[in-house]
Amino acid sequence: MTLRKFTRAEATAYGFLTVTLLFCLLPFFWVFLASVDPNASLFLSVPKGITADHFIKVFTANNGRRWFFNSLVTVGATTALVVVVGGMGGYALSRTTAWWKSPFLYAIILVRVLPPTALIVPLYKFMLFANGLMSAVVRSVVPPDSARSAMQICGFVDGYLGLILVLSAMQLPLALWIIKTYFDLTPKDYEEAALMDGANGFQRMHRILVPLALPGLGAAGLLTFIGAWGDFLMPLTFISSAELQLLPIGLFRAFQRANTIDYGYLSALALLYMLPAVVAFGLARRFLIQTFTGGIKG
Amino acid sequence: MKATVLRAGVVVGLIAGAIAAAVVISRARFGSREGAISGVSAPTIRIAEHRQPRIDALNKSIPRIEKQLGVVIEVVEYPAPEKDYLSKLLTELGAGNAPDLFTANFDADVPDMVSAGYLAPITAEVKAWDGYEKLFDVAKKLSTGADGQIYALDSMLLVEQIYFRRDLLDKAGISTAQPANWKDLLDRAREIKAKTGKYGLLLPAGIGWGAGGFTEGFALFVAGSKTPQIANDDGTLNLNGEGVRDIFGLYKSLIDEDLMPIKPLLGPEPWVIPKYTMFPAGDLMATTCGTWCYIYDWGKDSKNPVPDVTKNVGTWAVPGTDGGSSVKISGSNIWAVNANSAHLNLTKKVLLALCSVDSTVAYAQLLGNIPARRDAADNKDFQAMTELVPVLKNVDNGTYLKSAPGFSVVSEGVARATEALLRKQTDAAGAQAILVKYVKDLLGDNAVK
Amino acid sequence: MAMTYETRMAWQNRMLLVPALVLLGCFILIPAAAAIYISFTNAALNGFAASHPQFVGLKNYVRLFSDEGFWNSLIVTFYFVFGSSIVGQFVLGLASAIALSRPIAFKPVFNAAILLPNAVPEVVAGFIWISMLGGGKYSTLSRIVGLFGIAPQNWLESVPLLMIIVVNTWRGIAFAMILMTSGLSAVPAEVYEAARMDGATPRQIFWRITLPLLRPTIFLYMLVSTAGTIAIFGLIYTLTRGGPGGATEIIGIYIYNQSFTAYQLGYGSAVAVIVLGVSVAIGAIYARVLKVQV
Repeated sequence: MTLRKFTRAEATAYGFLTVTLLFCLLPFFWVFLASVDPNASLFLSVPKGITADHFIKVFTANNGRRWFFNSLVTVGATTALVVVVGGMGGYALSRTTAWWKSPFLYAIILVRVLPPTALIVPLYKFMLFANGLMSAVVRSVVPPDSARSAMQICGFVDGYLGLILVLSAMQLPLALWIIKTYFDLTPKDYEEAALMDGANGFQRMHRILVPLALPGLGAAGLLTFIGAWGDFLMPLTFISSAELQLLPIGLFRAFQRANTIDYGYLSALALLYMLPAVVAFGLARRFLIQTFTGGIKG
Repeated sequence: MKATVLRAGVVVGLIAGAIAAAVVISRARFGSREGAISGVSAPTIRIAEHRQPRIDALNKSIPRIEKQLGVVIEVVEYPAPEKDYLSKLLTELGAGNAPDLFTANFDADVPDMVSAGYLAPITAEVKAWDGYEKLFDVAKKLSTGADGQIYALDSMLLVEQIYFRRDLLDKAGISTAQPANWKDLLDRAREIKAKTGKYGLLLPAGIGWGAGGFTEGFALFVAGSKTPQIANDDGTLNLNGEGVRDIFGLYKSLIDEDLMPIKPLLGPEPWVIPKYTMFPAGDLMATTCGTWCYIYDWGKDSKNPVPDVTKNVGTWAVPGTDGGSSVKISGSNIWAVNANSAHLNLTKKVLLALCSVDSTVAYAQLLGNIPARRDAADNKDFQAMTELVPVLKNVDNGTYLKSAPGFSVVSEGVARATEALLRKQTDAAGAQAILVKYVKDLLGDNAVK
Repeated sequence: MAMTYETRMAWQNRMLLVPALVLLGCFILIPAAAAIYISFTNAALNGFAASHPQFVGLKNYVRLFSDEGFWNSLIVTFYFVFGSSIVGQFVLGLASAIALSRPIAFKPVFNAAILLPNAVPEVVAGFIWISMLGGGKYSTLSRIVGLFGIAPQNWLESVPLLMIIVVNTWRGIAFAMILMTSGLSAVPAEVYEAARMDGATPRQIFWRITLPLLRPTIFLYMLVSTAGTIAIFGLIYTLTRGGPGGATEIIGIYIYNQSFTAYQLGYGSAVAVIVLGVSVAIGAIYARVLKVQV
């Protein structure tokens, strides 16, 4: 009796999971097939031949390499920034007992409700203002010939710096939340012990807290990476120069050439674009679970 | 645990390395082109352009202009769809960060950009230019605002009328003669439906089509209606007249009697299926369009070309309500100068250079609109485009719609009104009420006569 | 320097928070406050109002209440959030979490498959689904249901709202699953053992023990997921642009159309403010229903 019940429950589990798996994977068949199909179209079809041309084209035509490079740099820097700032902030939020802690936490989650399209215009004006200031500083410090390339790095509009800051701010709320939760589940004993032993704040952070917090930081970092990697509204609004374009914009543009879309190229680009995010997600999952179930077990 | 730390460390290291590489490489790679041209830094003029054919056409002119004026030109690529292009451009103009030179999509966009203070006046430079004499009268009139100032120059023209499948109508035994009036036009569409079962006439409509619905559809019938002009001299808009209601009535007949495709117009990019698929396939027999359709929509290099397009696709001028006919001319490649540009004088010179015969013919070859100047007829490359040559000769016989501030609101209002008609929610009078209400809501009650 | 230990700690904590506050303040709070201010003006992207915006008080809000498009968008958003986030993702995510908590083979494969839709950036997800749903008889879905005898159709036009709910469900199962898995693993095994020994059926265990113990996790999931789903823009914009005829015009797209297509920035901001208010109310409702401390 017990055996049969067990088997039935198992069968249900397998059945459900298989259906879910198919549901999740089905849309991807087209992308995989089209990226190697010399005659790719928008619709699912069995390729009559296999070609690597599309993938090669991604890297040789149209600034593809530059897009990858720009995306990696900006999103990478965003992740680093969020992990550092979020790490500090999350720790502080966890340890503090201020009255405004709870409302603040819920506020930063709820503020994510505002569709980014509503914030874009005021944000753009603010960034432009900051850009003006930065421009003045740069021009007084750097020789005029390289002013343009300097602004490409530290400009707020049409520059790496501005985009990194904006992407970081967008990802910060969730990161703060994750890191705070993680520290909540970490006993204070270690810090107290270190204090007793005479370590000051900085050493405490460095030697004890960071290693302890790695799963939480890792989870936050990887989720930030995924979130920032997929953002296309910010690059669309803030980047104009061809040299600074990011991957999602390149993808979007390739899709809009209504008469002449090259689906093979598009799918290859999409697959390569997906890759870092998928890898990141695989890594993140384990960290996330550790975070929520109190990763530190002695 | 150690493995995790190690892995995390690798990730951080990679990121740091990437950033360091970025700094080093960008310093080396994105070196100033400006310094490279001449020993002294030449000023950079930034031009906004969108859609690959247009960018290609623009690129053809750039080396010549750069040498001629001693500038460096940078082409900034904007999103392709007209709507998105304008949205991004306006956001940047509003913030003061737009490129030096750009085009407006339609004449209707210009007055509002002027009243927003985005455009620099170019009246003096244009009138002193040697090409000014060569411009067609209609181009001069379209470019000049009510106050006599020129803020944007129509370097090319769109000639719009009704295009139909001559070959298929002949085969079905339907008359291909010029329709005498609106009733005749409607009857022809009904005949097409009855005899062939295909759609008889498409007029752009709905919110998805955006401003194009107004300029490529509604506006064509205004000249022949009982309200020949919408913009009044005193700045108000003539939207309460019978003519406007009649045009909506025309739409309503086409929609209710299933003479035009409706489903595609409710979705995104509504022109793709009717114009690029249905018309070449013969499922749609007639549509409003312009000279660009011969090349861009149905020409040899388009997605679904119509074979022998100049023979098989004929044109009818747009009939008037009770008779007469007109061909609507509107501006294209309407170049304008950013009022905040750091190089105003140079940008104006670049603008005029882009209105030369060579530049406009380059655009004509790739897009199918026609240069706004008479002397284009003497250009060898233009003469090779046999479909466009007769059109250029007849430009003086066309009519045009005066634009005024508030036209972008009118365009959006027409889009909403026709959307309601598409969804069969109202009748012609109701559609007119929607238009009037929308314009009054946004521009004030006094704006509408 | 006679600061007590506590004061020093508190001060250090404040310092640690400063960078985060600066980032959030500059790039989110200030634009949000600006957006609220703009909602009381007639700011526009084009036309006279673009360079001379005027304070118009509550005019935008008044217009909002009588605008059919706004109410349509609210209703569409409600169905969208309810269907995909509250029902679809949650049920499937919870079921997956439970199924995967058992010892079964191929776990990594199932995990990876469920994670993949969420790892894909919005734009890519958008046009993968266009291949699945658009194009009439060529779309993958049409071909599949053709095997069951259902007529091929342009799914994005015939059942658009249902389709975007399906797509968003597809996309979000992973997040729900991860949260639910964490929540489930916090329930000690002894509780289940004890219940089973007392003769409880699996169904009783689920409803009387598992779910109540999951309440805090569910609250967190609902809060974050609802907030995130309301703000969705790119995915649906790529799929349908809000059409046909506004059938999928979720509030994010409605605001975009008002601000960037009709150029009415003031009006778009007013809508955003209303959405913000609604979300705070929803958060409070969740807290009450799920009996969680706020």
